Amino acid sequence: MQPVPAIEVNNLVKIYHRKHQPPVRAVDGLSFNVERGEIFGLLGPNGAGKTTTIKILTTLLAPTEGTARVFGHDVVHDPLDVRRQICVVVQENALELHLSVRNNFRVFGRFHGLTAKETQIRMERVCELFSLTEYLNARGMDLSGGLKRRVQVAKTFLIDKPVVFLDEATTGMDSLNKRATIQAIKEETRKGRTIVLTTHILDEAEVLCDRVAILNHGKLITLGSVLEVKGAGLRLLSLTLTVRESSSTLLETIRSFKPVSVELRNSTIEVIMRDEEEALRLLAAARKHEVFLHFEITSASLEDVFLQLVDHKTGPK
Amino acid sequence: MREIAAVVYREYLIQSTSLMWIFFELAVPLLYLLMFGVAFDRALGQGLLVENQAISYNSFFLPGVLAMTCFGNALNQSYGFFVDRDNGILYEFLTYPMRRSEFLLGKVLFQCGMTVLQTALTVGFGALLLDVSVPWSASVFIIIMMIAGTAAWFFFLSIFAFTIKRYDIYNTVINVLYFLLMFLSSVFYPLDRVPAWIRSLSLLNPLTWHADILRFETVGVGSPGVVLIEAGAFVIFAFLSFWLAVRKLQQTG
Repeated sequence: MQPVPAIEVNNLVKIYHRKHQPPVRAVDGLSFNVERGEIFGLLGPNGAGKTTTIKILTTLLAPTEGTARVFGHDVVHDPLDVRRQICVVVQENALELHLSVRNNFRVFGRFHGLTAKETQIRMERVCELFSLTEYLNARGMDLSGGLKRRVQVAKTFLIDKPVVFLDEATTGMDSLNKRATIQAIKEETRKGRTIVLTTHILDEAEVLCDRVAILNHGKLITLGSVLEVKGAGLRLLSLTLTVRESSSTLLETIRSFKPVSVELRNSTIEVIMRDEEEALRLLAAARKHEVFLHFEITSASLEDVFLQLVDHKTGPK
Repeated sequence: MREIAAVVYREYLIQSTSLMWIFFELAVPLLYLLMFGVAFDRALGQGLLVENQAISYNSFFLPGVLAMTCFGNALNQSYGFFVDRDNGILYEFLTYPMRRSEFLLGKVLFQCGMTVLQTALTVGFGALLLDVSVPWSASVFIIIMMIAGTAAWFFFLSIFAFTIKRYDIYNTVINVLYFLLMFLSSVFYPLDRVPAWIRSLSLLNPLTWHADILRFETVGVGSPGVVLIEAGAFVIFAFLSFWLAVRKLQQTG
């Protein structure tokens, strides 16, 4: 028998009713599954419905319609069983400001059924992993925003819940800690944990996620592996040209091919194209105007695809 | 039980970061009794005649102070929800493996411990300094009523704390409520002497029920039949508040 997926979402709808304002469909008929041991990214612009989806999956909000299950447990009917399977980094900076970092870990461990000894052993390992040892006696209120976030993320690695939700987990972290966090997330999935993350940093999603779902206005725009999403529907290519000096004639020539976007930075022009043949024709035409110091054709980044998908499939707000 | 113990542990760690606050909290009811009670006791001279029984104002006021202590403690604890919400930790708590009811019970259990200590101090020093004697046989009942009172008021105030998102609005609403509950009750004065409309409103006030139950047990004032009805009404108030608070917390996200 096939094991149930870590997360099953079916036709999920969440409508917010506000006084004197029309209701908002924050999540609008969302369906997807997350397999066990997978790193799954929920991507989308602000207001896309990512955090609402996470809140429903973590039993913080009840859906208006549809169902959501975590390890087979329904988020509405068995919320306690769901909470026994998950740990969550919420979007807000969540820390006991009056307590030391050490006591923050102790409280978290106690809530998740760890003995004082187990918490101590795991705390040492986690603090080393996230470079927090020197801050153990500092109070939450004395930490910088990035450090608070680091403690918050580190707490989730203190326990072994099979599903981890990370809502904008690396926000405010410096690049070193971001790297440590990404490394730690990868390590955890090797142990079989399932990670669901939301991020607006698409490079991060590209490096981390096995699969991504792109949302906009509460609807699912596309779902698949990063490669599939980059290739699906819009086969976007990034064409980078470095010239001695960019001329208006060259730019006009490029624009005549109707690219998705053109960006000029000093003597480098980045052009996003939809078609490989077109990209090669553009290259040949542009070559007649300028001598290239360097040129490169790559598949467009997830960010380019994301911007195109959000723009094309749902249109402007 | 493990979950409730974890909430109590967390409350203990947070409260113990401010020992001065704990010390002051413990002394507040006694200070009320000493300052308020002594002044009124002297002003009234001969004391009070309640239900054809002559008692000193201090004896009359002690149960009122105890009832106020429960309300005050519940109020202090309810403010914690705003701190937790501002710190973002409330939302994280709500994803921990525990029921919403366990979270509320754990929050109030720590405060009930404070209430028991305050009661012991107030009753003990009241007997020593103001000659307000409470029978030993009533001590267990008083402790039960103090715990029940703290819990009932905490659940009641939690409904407001989960409904009102802004701290300043909550503060205003609760201050108005506190004022009405205090002065439309039997906490400060016997109700048989006040105007009929105040008496009628006061009889609908759970603070009156709580103060009357405590007064009956501590100084033996009150009619058993009425106190029994008030006890029943207070139990219903407590359970209804608990149920509504849990429902409100379930909608917080």
